[in-house]
Amino acid sequence: MKILVAVKQVAALDEDFAIRDDGRDVDPDFLIRDLNEWDDFSLEEAVKIKEGHPEPVEVVVVSVGSDEVDESLRKCLAKGADRAIRVWDAAIEGSDSIAIARILAAVAKREAPQMLFAGVQSSDQSFASTGIATAAFLSWPHAAVVTSLTYSPGAESAVFRRELEGGILHEVEIQCPAVLTIQLGINTPRYASLRSIKQAAAKPIEVLSLADVSLGAADVGEAGSLSRVRRMYVPDKGRAQLIQGDAAQQAARLAEIIREFKGAAA
Amino acid sequence: MSRTDAVTRILFEAFGAAEVRLFYLLGYAAIAVFCYGVYVQIRKYRRGAALKLEGSLWARFGDMLSSVLSHRTIDRRDRGAGGAHRLIFYGFMLLFAGTATITLEYDILEPLFGIRFWHGGFYLVFSLVLDVAGVALIAGLVYMMYRRGWMRLPKLDYARPDRVPGDPDFDRPQYRREDWAFLWLLLIIAGTGYVLEAARLVWLQGRADVWDTRWWSPVGALLAEGMRASGLGAQGGGLLRHGLWWFHGLIALILIALIPYTKVKHIFTSAASLMVRDRLAAQRLPRVPDSQAEAGAAKITDFNWKQLLNLDACTKCGRCHEACPARAVGAPLSPRDVILSLREFAQATLESGVVPAAAELDIHGKAPGQVAMETLWSCRTCMACVEICPVAVEHVPIIVQMRRKLVEDGAMDPLLTKTLQTIHKTGNSFGESKRKRGAWSKALPFPVKDARKEPVDVLWFVGDYASFDPRNQKVSQVFASLLHEAGVDFGILYDGESNAGNDVRRVGEEGLYEVLATANVTALSSVSFKSVVTTDPHSFNTIRNEYPDFGGKYEIQHYTTLLRQLFAERRLQVTHPLKYRVTFHDPCHLGRFNKGYDAPRELLALLGCELVEMGRCRANSFCCGAGGGRIWIPDPVGSEKPAQNRMKEAAAIPGLEVYVVSCPKDLTMFEDALKTTGNEGKFVVKELIELIREAIPARRAEAVPA
Repeated sequence: MKILVAVKQVAALDEDFAIRDDGRDVDPDFLIRDLNEWDDFSLEEAVKIKEGHPEPVEVVVVSVGSDEVDESLRKCLAKGADRAIRVWDAAIEGSDSIAIARILAAVAKREAPQMLFAGVQSSDQSFASTGIATAAFLSWPHAAVVTSLTYSPGAESAVFRRELEGGILHEVEIQCPAVLTIQLGINTPRYASLRSIKQAAAKPIEVLSLADVSLGAADVGEAGSLSRVRRMYVPDKGRAQLIQGDAAQQAARLAEIIREFKGAAA
Repeated sequence: MSRTDAVTRILFEAFGAAEVRLFYLLGYAAIAVFCYGVYVQIRKYRRGAALKLEGSLWARFGDMLSSVLSHRTIDRRDRGAGGAHRLIFYGFMLLFAGTATITLEYDILEPLFGIRFWHGGFYLVFSLVLDVAGVALIAGLVYMMYRRGWMRLPKLDYARPDRVPGDPDFDRPQYRREDWAFLWLLLIIAGTGYVLEAARLVWLQGRADVWDTRWWSPVGALLAEGMRASGLGAQGGGLLRHGLWWFHGLIALILIALIPYTKVKHIFTSAASLMVRDRLAAQRLPRVPDSQAEAGAAKITDFNWKQLLNLDACTKCGRCHEACPARAVGAPLSPRDVILSLREFAQATLESGVVPAAAELDIHGKAPGQVAMETLWSCRTCMACVEICPVAVEHVPIIVQMRRKLVEDGAMDPLLTKTLQTIHKTGNSFGESKRKRGAWSKALPFPVKDARKEPVDVLWFVGDYASFDPRNQKVSQVFASLLHEAGVDFGILYDGESNAGNDVRRVGEEGLYEVLATANVTALSSVSFKSVVTTDPHSFNTIRNEYPDFGGKYEIQHYTTLLRQLFAERRLQVTHPLKYRVTFHDPCHLGRFNKGYDAPRELLALLGCELVEMGRCRANSFCCGAGGGRIWIPDPVGSEKPAQNRMKEAAAIPGLEVYVVSCPKDLTMFEDALKTTGNEGKFVVKELIELIREAIPARRAEAVPA
């Protein structure tokens, strides 16, 4: 039995940062890389299911990215994943979430798991589409924003709960194999000690090329994407101003500002 | 044979051959039982992990002997117990030596070589000495009984803070029974010894060699006079002597047989523990060998033989229980009970013929003998327990090794988990960008040298709190100004510095500590400097005591000694003496850990401050509660924090104006506690550095902008 967990190494901004010369992303020099927070929870859910199941269950993590992703994959291995797969090819650069989903679906076909978890979204891009798009490529049933799950590996179906507006809970039964995107708080992710991360270096990270998953350059990158980032920028600041002076002066200035805005709207 | 020659110890006189044989039989039996017990104990210790001791065994032996003979460790913070134990120890040792030398002559030297020395003047003097020794022994025992029975000392209360009434191991009445049985047994042996001696005198009053020399045994002679006055004749004395001889002899043999099975064994285990003590037990924690699969102590057999011996050395004196800041604020931890729990566990599992399966050796949990994670996480690793232990039990490494296992399992507070991840990611516990580490220095009117770019005399290792905490940044700026004004050529590592790792290691995250220590050693080794200084006692401790294990040997001092030196060289001079009434808080890592008690006090004297010591000062200083990573773990709501407990102690000093600290974490903890204990406005908490600034006002141009 096998659970596949799709994970992403996300980027967080350092204190100061600069936009890349092409104006479409942050200069990588100013990024701090780490495992996506949501993926911590989906991996934990898979490892918990594995540990609670009497028969052997294999937890496989998969990610798309260059070798700098290995650090995050090792963290996953330290936390209990049995093996890791990383897909990379220079052509993948510039892929949107749909193209990434196509790659993940290809890996899922190859691995044939009974269940595929992904995080609800990534903390850097926040498209919240990769998991669901993967399900679409696989034609598997899927559900997003899962907050609690009852699943026994090998079972025909799984039961999960989602939180809806107004505090309503949605309890759903889903046919397996399925793709579930996991919400924060579904469990308490374990700590991967530095020692366990070091020891996880002995576990395998399998690197696959596009050919290995039967895809071509046209399936990925900008060619295989349905969207394209036009530019990334920091909006102009300075909309707030501090009004100084005594009460009368402040009131006068405030009235002036209100008039200015009214005038602009008119 | 001359008359004085005939004077000797009356041994088996009037005993039949069968009776003597019976006594020897019983004696051998007692020795056999003793030896088997010793074997079981040694087998137990050998079931622990291997450990190679540093240093020469002879030096260790000499050290132990001087501690034992001087009773210096037992005297500390309890002169009464020390004095009484001294009486018991020397009384018992002399009496034992007396008996042993008789055996030596009677059973070995005389039958084999015909040598006799137990007669004449030697015998008489020895008999006087032994009589006095007996009085000392009894006096010590009676005091100890008074102490246990009437003084109601909290430290002798076996109720555990980590258990609730009703738990099978809550207050362990068996310990109380054993304590009393031990005292009574010794008292009866000593008492019957005197009565026996008196009865023998009455019985042999007709023999001049016995009777005429009776006052060499004054207590026995006095008792004998009493017996005679109350009508006891020679024949009655003979009968009494015969009965008591057996009674006294049997009890003594029972005591010998019981030594390895009861608390009496402390006479060996405590001495051995003192002999194998590690002077840096808490200051320099053990590394995890690469070959070791598991990082921490999960099973009782993961402790090394010395630690298992430590468990048996404990005499339940309660000094660690009394000193522990966690215990003092009602946390579920008593260092004494951690040791006793594990001792009970080791006894239950490792004294049997075969070692039980691994699953039964798990020391983590809430069953009797196990230690709960709440207990382990309550520890501040402040070293108060290790420092005061009279028999060199080393609690801190035991607790940290058990925490290493908890860290591996992720069994810790979520905030601590988060902090460790943050430190791994950013190299500091504040989650700030590495680039901002030296940002505090930008406010200074002079540049602080980047030691990575140019050589410096003094490399200042700033540490996390002094770099990132806004309140402590101000102190860092003042310290930089003082160094600058004194003309010290100094620099910092800027973003080349990482968290020193002292507290990460004490949390039990050894892997992360290795990463941090290696990073800092690499950074320090690639720059040029003569010595290191730091304002942070935590960084000071780990760089001084632990970095050498990672290849980083540096001359390092805490700022207090550097400033003292600058004053001595007149490179800094007090121009505005302060007249404050102050008290000084010894930081654990500066005081207890590294014995830096004097420099801060000398600086306070130089400033003109009147220092009023708190009751708990110097080696007995009371931890602020931040050590051992506890600064990253929230204290339970509603319970007293150690820092608050300490503030109350300081507030009791009449007219106190300034509570002086010399550690960034102390500043944070105590300024907070000052407010939460309602003492704000009564006195202030200040860094010693700030007081020095006040006494040497900065020239305008060099003032740090507010």
